[in-house]
Amino acid sequence: MFDDPDALTSSDRRHYADCADCQARYAGMAEDARAVATLLATPDVKVDAASAFQRIQAAPAAKPRFGFTLPVLRPASRTMFAGLAAAALLVVLVATAFANVLPLFQPKTVEAVPIKVADLQALSALADYGTVTWTQQPQPQLVLSAADAKTVAGFNAPVAKYVPAGVSSTITYAAMPKAVAIFTFDSTKAAAAAAKTGKTLPGLPKGIEGAKLTVTAGPAIVEFYGNLHAGSNSSSQDINIPELVIAESSAPVVTSSQVTAKQLENYILSIPGISKELSAAIKAIGDPSTTLIIPIPIQYATSTSVTVQGVHGVAVGDNTGLGSGVIWIKGNLFVVAGPLKQSEVVKVADNLKA
Amino acid sequence: MKSREEAFEALFKSEYARVAGIANRVLADPHEAEDVAQEVFINFHRLHSASAQFAPAWLHRAAAHTALNRLRGRRRREKREQAQAPEEASRTVDPQRMLEVNEDRRAVRAALARLAPKPASVLVLRASGLSYAEVAEALGVGTGQIGTLLRRAEAALRKEVTRGTSI
Repeated sequence: MFDDPDALTSSDRRHYADCADCQARYAGMAEDARAVATLLATPDVKVDAASAFQRIQAAPAAKPRFGFTLPVLRPASRTMFAGLAAAALLVVLVATAFANVLPLFQPKTVEAVPIKVADLQALSALADYGTVTWTQQPQPQLVLSAADAKTVAGFNAPVAKYVPAGVSSTITYAAMPKAVAIFTFDSTKAAAAAAKTGKTLPGLPKGIEGAKLTVTAGPAIVEFYGNLHAGSNSSSQDINIPELVIAESSAPVVTSSQVTAKQLENYILSIPGISKELSAAIKAIGDPSTTLIIPIPIQYATSTSVTVQGVHGVAVGDNTGLGSGVIWIKGNLFVVAGPLKQSEVVKVADNLKA
Repeated sequence: MKSREEAFEALFKSEYARVAGIANRVLADPHEAEDVAQEVFINFHRLHSASAQFAPAWLHRAAAHTALNRLRGRRRREKREQAQAPEEASRTVDPQRMLEVNEDRRAVRAALARLAPKPASVLVLRASGLSYAEVAEALGVGTGQIGTLLRRAEAALRKEVTRGTSI
């Protein structure tokens, strides 16, 4: 009312004219607003954007941290997005690290393996063993419709034939073209990293020096159910968190030069700090060259084997029972997740039309 | 289609004055405000693409939060310095009026630093000329909530200023 008096309806105006309480409250608020405007008044800052730009161009820190950029989401979505991004990164890291890669890793199914914080710390040392270069950077983008998503990804956006009651029918589409990264093993870099941390890292086996792993991810389409773009009538921050997420992606493909599957597996499992449980779980998988490993952080989540669309899938639930997800491969890789019961998530997955 | 660097330059040139303005509203110090603005843009560029949809909202929110964090750090530093050298502080040689203005400004900034981040950000962003919709987008709340948040924050700031000056 103070900032936009024209927003008052005529009935509000009539009420205000006769209501001493409202007049007194308005007078108090108007006085606060005027006082604060005075309190916060500062002389305008005179800036020279062109020379400021020159200065930050010269700063070495003004370069992308990861070699690629992350999408900017509405602030309320950030916490959940950070969780999803961490989970996705974990899948890619472990798939890359443990895939039995020669001549080709192309998963046809999924399998859960337990992973501990110590395993993650040990695996993070892998990054020091070489260099990552992107030949095609991940370029996720929000698009306006399923048709636009198809244009970017090259396949039809999946259609949910069943959506649990209470889940919004508003869908936001995101799509990403194919992304390709090459990891090149480099013993000099590994030695330098080891010297820096004072730790002894296992030496690179003969033949691995200079070997390249090419990881291809996507194209992919992600559908967020819920009013992600909060409009002017929104009354709660919660509406910015997706009520259901459905994703379809080409299964990741890893190819390699020089290195054999056995060499790589033995080498990775020799990294100090990898738990016996993880090592045993990896070795127990029947055909690693066609299995995408889903790391389950056992302190925080549980996993069960389920049948989805007639194929084997992995259902993941967090220990609080607040959310669950299911992941399976049927040609492409699919994920359905949300703050829902596992049975609901599996029902959505079973009724998904690719 | 613009390259990544061209898109960043365009975003920088269109938003820099506003981002520095938001920081200056908090800090009342143009030099430090420009420091904050540059820090915000560098952090943005390290993580995100300038063509991202919510880029301006990200920058506005980051400007308010970074400046408020600096303000809180500055308050702690000033308190420490005053405790260490009270006599030195009383020997300030500024003209009387300048002293009063500085004192008022300091009292307001101290009160702002004591507010919770959300009401402090609402006040600063609105006072920097952002519309209700822009403030809502920066803070991730509905536009319909901004009026109420703003009124409550104004009352809270006045109360804090009064409390601070009556101590």
